[in-house]
Amino acid sequence: MTNNAAVKAPKKRRRAASLDKKKARAGWLFVLPFAIGFLIVYLPILWDSLRFSFYHVSSQTGGGMVLEWVGLKNYTDALFVNPDFVQTLISGLGQMAFDIPAIVIFSLFMAVLLNTKMKGRAVFRAIFFMPVVLSTGFMAALESNNVLSSYMDSTTGMNDGSGRSASSDIISVLDFEKLFDQMKVGVEIVAVVISMINNIYDIVNRSGVQMLIFLAGLQSISPAIYESCQIDGASGWETFWKVTFPMISPMILVNAVYTIIDSFTAESNQIMKFINSVYELEINGNTISSAMSWMYFILVILIVAAVAAICSAFVFYQRRD
Amino acid sequence: MDAQNTVKKPQITKETKNKIRVDFERTPLKERLKAKFGTSYIYQKVFLSIFRLVLLIGLSYIVIYPFISKIASSFMGMSDFVDATVRLIPKDFTLNIYKAVFIELDYWKAFVNVFTLSFLSAILQTFSCCVIAYGFAKFKFKGNGILFMLVMLTMIIPHPTLKLSMLQNFKDFDILGIFGLLTKLGILPDSFAYGLRLTNSYWPLVILSACGLAFKNGLYIFMLRQFFRGVPDELEESAYIDGSGVFRTFFTIIIPLSVPMLITVFLFAFSWQWTDNYYIPLFFPSGRIWDWSDVIREIPISLETDYAGANLFQQAIHNTAGMMAIAPLIVVYLFCQKFLVQGIERSGIVG
Repeated sequence: MTNNAAVKAPKKRRRAASLDKKKARAGWLFVLPFAIGFLIVYLPILWDSLRFSFYHVSSQTGGGMVLEWVGLKNYTDALFVNPDFVQTLISGLGQMAFDIPAIVIFSLFMAVLLNTKMKGRAVFRAIFFMPVVLSTGFMAALESNNVLSSYMDSTTGMNDGSGRSASSDIISVLDFEKLFDQMKVGVEIVAVVISMINNIYDIVNRSGVQMLIFLAGLQSISPAIYESCQIDGASGWETFWKVTFPMISPMILVNAVYTIIDSFTAESNQIMKFINSVYELEINGNTISSAMSWMYFILVILIVAAVAAICSAFVFYQRRD
Repeated sequence: MDAQNTVKKPQITKETKNKIRVDFERTPLKERLKAKFGTSYIYQKVFLSIFRLVLLIGLSYIVIYPFISKIASSFMGMSDFVDATVRLIPKDFTLNIYKAVFIELDYWKAFVNVFTLSFLSAILQTFSCCVIAYGFAKFKFKGNGILFMLVMLTMIIPHPTLKLSMLQNFKDFDILGIFGLLTKLGILPDSFAYGLRLTNSYWPLVILSACGLAFKNGLYIFMLRQFFRGVPDELEESAYIDGSGVFRTFFTIIIPLSVPMLITVFLFAFSWQWTDNYYIPLFFPSGRIWDWSDVIREIPISLETDYAGANLFQQAIHNTAGMMAIAPLIVVYLFCQKFLVQGIERSGIVG
C-alpha cells in the first residue's frame, strides 16, 4: 500500500505541474508579440538613443552613420553652455506643479458633477470627453501657434481659445486683479490665481481621460453605502468626504500618475517644444537634444516615483488582500 | 396614533376573474403640497441643480467655443479679418476657403490616405493589444511582472528621446545585427550591409502596431488587462473542461465578450492615429504620402494675398483645414461616444 501511494503521489504532482507549465507557455505565447517587439525593435532604439547622447553622430549618404565618442560633452553642453535649457526646464516644471493638481482636482469635481442624475447628462458628457479624441496631435499643434486668437482677443474681444486668453472673454482678468489688490492679498497669490484662470481652457482640455477614469471609479462605489449614509442622516458634504473621497482615492493615485506622464510627454509642453526645436536645428550631428531628453526622462521617472510614493501612503483600499 | 386611524385601508375589489382593483385614499392636495414645498429641502435642491446647470453650460462653452469661432472664421471673406465689428457672424459670407482646401489641397487624397492608415493600424493595434493584455491578465508565468513593467516604461518615455534613434533604426532596420553579419559572410548581397531600409514605407508603423509599441499602446494594454482581470476565471475553466484549448477559448469566448471594450480601444487608436503628427512625418522623411499635415501646412494658391490681414487670413485657412480634417472624427465620435464612456466604466481601471 505504502509503495503504491508513494508512486502515485509524485505522478499527481507532475501532472499538476504540467498544467501550470502549459498555461505558462500559453501566457508566453500571448505576450510574445510584445516580448519580441521589445527585444528586436524597442530595445535597440532605446539603447541607440542612450548611446547617441554620448556621441557625435553624423549619418552617411549610403546608409549607416559615423559615431564619434565625446563622453559627457553633450550633457555638460546642455546644462552649462546652452543658455535656455535649464531655465526652460525650471519654468516648465513650475508650470506643471500648478497644472497637475489643478487637472486632478478639476476632473474629480467634473466627474462628481457628471455622475449626478440630471437631464442632458449624456450631452454634457459628450462635450467634456470631446477633447480626449479631438485635441491631440496636429490639433494641439494648431492651437499652440494660433495668431488669429490673439488678434481677435485684442481687437474685438473674441478669441479662438488658444489657451492663454479663452477665459478673459468670460471673466475679465483685469477685474480680478483689481479685486485682489483691494483685498490686500499677496502679489504671489494673485499671480497664481490669475494664471489658473488663464489656463482654464488648457486644464479643461487636458482632463478628459482623467474624468473618464474618475467616472468609472465613482460608478463602482456601491449605492448601498450612500443609502446607509442617507439613513444615518449624513449631509452631501459629509458623504463626499467620508465615503466618496476615500473610496476614490486609488483613482486619485492613478490619475495623478497618468496626468504627470501625460503632461510631461505632451508635445505641447514647453520643455518638449524646446527639445524639439533643438532637435530640428541639429544638422551637423550634434545630439544635445538626446542628452537633454534623457535628463528630462530621468527627471520624469523620479517625479512619478515620488508622487506615487506620497500618494500611495494616503490611498485607502476597500479590500485588503 | 391618530394619524394611523384616519388612513383608510386600501379597498380591494374584484373586477374580473383575473383582475383586481385596489383603491387607495390619497392624501389631500393641500397636505401633499405642504410636504413638498413647506421644507427648505426642495429649494436647496432646485438651487443646487440650477447652479450645476449654469456651471456645466459655462464650462461646455469653454470647450466648444474654439470650434464655434473656427467654424465662424472659416466662412469669412478677406475683408472680415480687418473689420473690427465682425465677431462671430461673417459679413462677407463665402465658401472660398472650403472650395480651395477641397480642390487645391487635395482633401480627398489626404482623407483616403489617412482613413486607410488609421483604420488598418487601429485594427492591428486593437488586436495585438488585446492578445498581449490577455496574456498579462490571465496567465501566471515567470517574467509577467517584469514584462508588464516594460509596457509601462514604453508609456513613460517621452517621444523626442527616441526620435533620432527611431529614425536611424528604421532607416537601417536590422534584426540584432543578423543582416550585417550575413552580408559580411557573403550570404546576402552588399546592399543589405546596413539592414533593410524601411523609411518611406508603412512597415515601421506595422511593426510597431503589431508589437503593441505604437502611440499610447501601453495605455491600451493597461486598460484591456484591467478589463480581462475582471472576467471571471470560471468562464474559461468551464471551457477548458469542455475540451476547448486556450486559443479557441480566447477567440470564441473572450473576444465576443469584450467587444464593447475593444470598440473603445479601437476608437482611441483610430482617433489618435487620425490626428497623429509625429510618426507619419518621422517615417516619411521625403513626404511621399499626402496627409493632414500637408493639408494644414499649405496655403492654396488662389487664396494667396499680401494685404493687411493676410496673417490672420492664413491662420483662418489653417484652422479651416484643421476643422475639415477632424470633421469626420467628430461624426464618428458623436455616434460612438457612448462606447467610450461605457468601455471605461466596464474596464474597471478601479482595480
